[in-house]
Amino acid sequence: MIVEVKKLHKIYNNGTHALKGVSFSVQPGEFLVIIGLSGSGKSTLLRCINRLIEPTSGTVKFLGKDITHIKGEQLRRAKSQIGMVFQQFNLIRRRSVLTNVISGKLGAISTFDSILERFDKEIIDEAYRNLETVGITEKARIRADSLSGGQQQRVAIARSLMQNPKLLLADEPVASLDPATSNSVMHYFEKINKDLGTTVICNLHFLSLVRKYASRVIALKAGEIIYEGLPGEINETWFRTIYGEEAEEVEIR
Amino acid sequence: MIAEPEIEILPHKIIERNKQREDKFNFVKAVLLDIFFVFYSVVVLKRAIYYKFFLEMRELPFSWGDIGILFIISIVVGIFWASTKTSLSCKLFGIAKDNKTTKWTVEIFGWFLFNITFIAGWIVTKFSLVDLFSSEGIQGAQRIFGALFQPEMGIFDDALFAIIETIYIALLATLISIPPTLFLSFFTARNLMRDNKVSFAVYYVLRIILNFVRSIEPLIWAIIFSVWVGIGPFAGMIALFIHTIASNAKLYSEAIENIEQGPVEAISATGANKVQIVWYGVVPQIILPFLSFTIYRWDINVRMATVIGLVGGGGIGTMLIQYQGLARWHEVGLIILMIAFVVWVMDYISARIREAIY
Ligand SMILES: Nc1ncnc2c1ncn2[C@@H]1O[C@H](COP(=O)(O)OP(=O)(O)OP(=O)(O)O)[C@@H](O)[C@H]1O
Ligand SMILES: [Mg+2]
Repeated sequence: MIVEVKKLHKIYNNGTHALKGVSFSVQPGEFLVIIGLSGSGKSTLLRCINRLIEPTSGTVKFLGKDITHIKGEQLRRAKSQIGMVFQQFNLIRRRSVLTNVISGKLGAISTFDSILERFDKEIIDEAYRNLETVGITEKARIRADSLSGGQQQRVAIARSLMQNPKLLLADEPVASLDPATSNSVMHYFEKINKDLGTTVICNLHFLSLVRKYASRVIALKAGEIIYEGLPGEINETWFRTIYGEEAEEVEIR
Repeated sequence: MIAEPEIEILPHKIIERNKQREDKFNFVKAVLLDIFFVFYSVVVLKRAIYYKFFLEMRELPFSWGDIGILFIISIVVGIFWASTKTSLSCKLFGIAKDNKTTKWTVEIFGWFLFNITFIAGWIVTKFSLVDLFSSEGIQGAQRIFGALFQPEMGIFDDALFAIIETIYIALLATLISIPPTLFLSFFTARNLMRDNKVSFAVYYVLRIILNFVRSIEPLIWAIIFSVWVGIGPFAGMIALFIHTIASNAKLYSEAIENIEQGPVEAISATGANKVQIVWYGVVPQIILPFLSFTIYRWDINVRMATVIGLVGGGGIGTMLIQYQGLARWHEVGLIILMIAFVVWVMDYISARIREAIY
């Protein structure tokens, strides 16, 4: 079991009860997709798994170790083994693509070297290899904010690959991209999942993408899991339960 | 086994409780402010308008007894007024009843406050059209403006040297203020310091100190330092240095507070430590605003250095005040023209550089 979440609750400081007792587990090599309406708690769940935020109660286990309330050095080590890709790419705009990719490795570089931006040859080579995986080696020296959205997201994927992550989290990675680009970006996640054996947990909006890439699906509604199963099993009835009576499916290929 | 969590606290209960607490707190604030309003009104009415204007007294009688009585009256009236929930302060803090009485009190009392303040201001500044347009006054103005058009060029090289001194005072003060300002700005940025109690305490204390230092004008600092290190350029430079740190640390830290959180979050998710997060997530986003603030501050400091010179901070200001004391108006004219020119050029250059940066 790579991730084990038990009775997880998250109450934000303003009183919002974003997760209400979520439990599930993830096997190594899975491509788990989380779906649900806006505000259902998908981002909150991912952020609890890599501990960008601290859960209010319940437990999160990563590789068998309880990481729910760890702090300091322990927390950094756990974070460095979990990659994360965001909807808004979150690259350092004014820096080169290469620096952005290398920044994924900061957990393994000394503070002093990272301030001087003095990186070992191996790290630079590794960065180029990861850029190759997402197919944009030729952009390495370009400023990150001059790339298109799809390219930026691929750089963000390369950055997370620098961590050699056991687990890759993706929070609506294609929500700000057009359909064609979405598919190509999703392709890289599939490739990483299949070729490198990295476990992927991904929040998605479009069911067509879910059917195409997910090995298993969890649906959240108002902070609770209301569906867990294979993507093919989501029929009309389930769809309406998850997305509400008025919802209608939109296709994206 | 992990103990079952206590999640009985319902969110809307928490919100309700917070609201009640806030209302109570607002009421206390409203009472205090109303007391102040009433006290202010009676004091202004009595001392500025009645004594000074109607009785035309020069020396105002002062006794703690009088003030004390007025204050006690204000407390009683203020508390009563606020508890009717129709007062001006209640309206300001959003706890007033929504009815006609409130509307009327707020309007009438608002106008009343504005008018007595305006009238008192008029009386206190001794605003006088007679002085502005007296024949003596007009002559003085003619002297000054006449001198501006016939500047005494004989002191040009002295004045040039003095104004360069002023520019250097400003430049040095700005440059050496950069390292301490940078250092302080990270410790006074809320988003970097709120994580734990110790750092938040540091943040809070530093903020208070900086606010205090900033609230004292460079001119006052110059007076303090001219006593400390002796009159001259050094006192002026130190005064500007201190004030520049305090004001730029505020601007810098606000720039840090307004950065995009995304990159910071992404870097932190890779397991980087705090220093690395700041260096990769924060610093690239703030370099340009910092540069721009600093250049702008140099521009401001040139003007400030001139003013500081008037109290003995060296440079062109000191020269100006000396010639003014000797009533040598043509020399004063030249100096004023040179100051105007330099300030205009600095303004232009700094605006251009800041444009180019972005
Ligand atoms: N930092 C925060 N502070 C307070 N409340 C928050 C915070 N972040 C999220 N919430 C609230 O928690 C709930 C769940 O939010 P979350 O972002 O996890 O939903 P989501 O499923 O990711 O939605 P979306 O599809 O819009 O991204 C929402 O009601 C949201 O307003
Ligand atoms: Mg979200």
